[in-house]
Amino acid sequence: MAGLKTIIALSFVLAIGFLLVILSSALFGPNYFPLLVVATYVLAPLPNAICSQCATPNDFMDDTNGSGIVDLGKFLTGFFVVMGIALPAMLAHCGIIQIPAMIMSIIGGLLIYGTIISFTMFFQETEEF
Amino acid sequence: MSHPFRIRLPALPSQAVLRSTGVYISGGLFATAFYTFLDASIFSRVANGSSNVHITILDWLPLICSILGMLIINFIDKTHLSNDDSFSYSGGSGVMLKAKIVLFMGFALMAGGLAGSLAVLVLKYLVPGHPWPTLWLGVAGAVANGLVMASSSVLWVSQMGEGEYRYDLSL
Repeated sequence: MAGLKTIIALSFVLAIGFLLVILSSALFGPNYFPLLVVATYVLAPLPNAICSQCATPNDFMDDTNGSGIVDLGKFLTGFFVVMGIALPAMLAHCGIIQIPAMIMSIIGGLLIYGTIISFTMFFQETEEF
Repeated sequence: MSHPFRIRLPALPSQAVLRSTGVYISGGLFATAFYTFLDASIFSRVANGSSNVHITILDWLPLICSILGMLIINFIDKTHLSNDDSFSYSGGSGVMLKAKIVLFMGFALMAGGLAGSLAVLVLKYLVPGHPWPTLWLGVAGAVANGLVMASSSVLWVSQMGEGEYRYDLSL
């Protein structure tokens, strides 16, 4: 049951995630590269959503159309999720951001992505009815 | 349904779940490969100031070959490989042969990419005897090509048991 408490809790978690990412770029360095993590995790559920809409499960005569594009969406989603972890690690290894900034931005990005995923999970259940 | 054992083994997840998990893992492996090599090339320009050996187009070529091979392999419809199209509603005779030729080109590109990255690692970094932070540029190329190959094989394996799943959906 997705009540009001769930929405409030999810928005708190989302705000904490954004706070961690913004603090990681504002505290530790002169640049704002960790904000790319937010863009990555906002983009991450999009290919899955778009490609699952593009798949046409009802024309069962066409055998080759259906699940290829769904797999493309899943592939791109997996790419974006791992990219959200790999991007701060890469920046930290190259010395562009510092190690604590990397840790804070990874944790904040995972909080943001978890919020998005649980939000869609809660509200897909109510749409089904 | 009664079980003879006191402890039930956890049931394996269904084939659709396994399939989508495999596709997600494949995308993650591909992202790891790409960002490993991007890390090496940024590290070469930004952080590795002590040496004058840098990532050039020579280092990018094996990775480009591997990614092209992965694209070619996964664009092929796998149903053409298993049946010998005796009922020819999708292209007549020789589709299986064409699919196998294109698939061979894809595998050759991928293996060539891996071998090329190893050759670059040996000839450009190991033989001149560069120390470790420079040696990472070559190691990252080899690791990235291996990860692209792993990603492609995970995608291939998870797409193999595809027919029964779609059959279940369409009925």
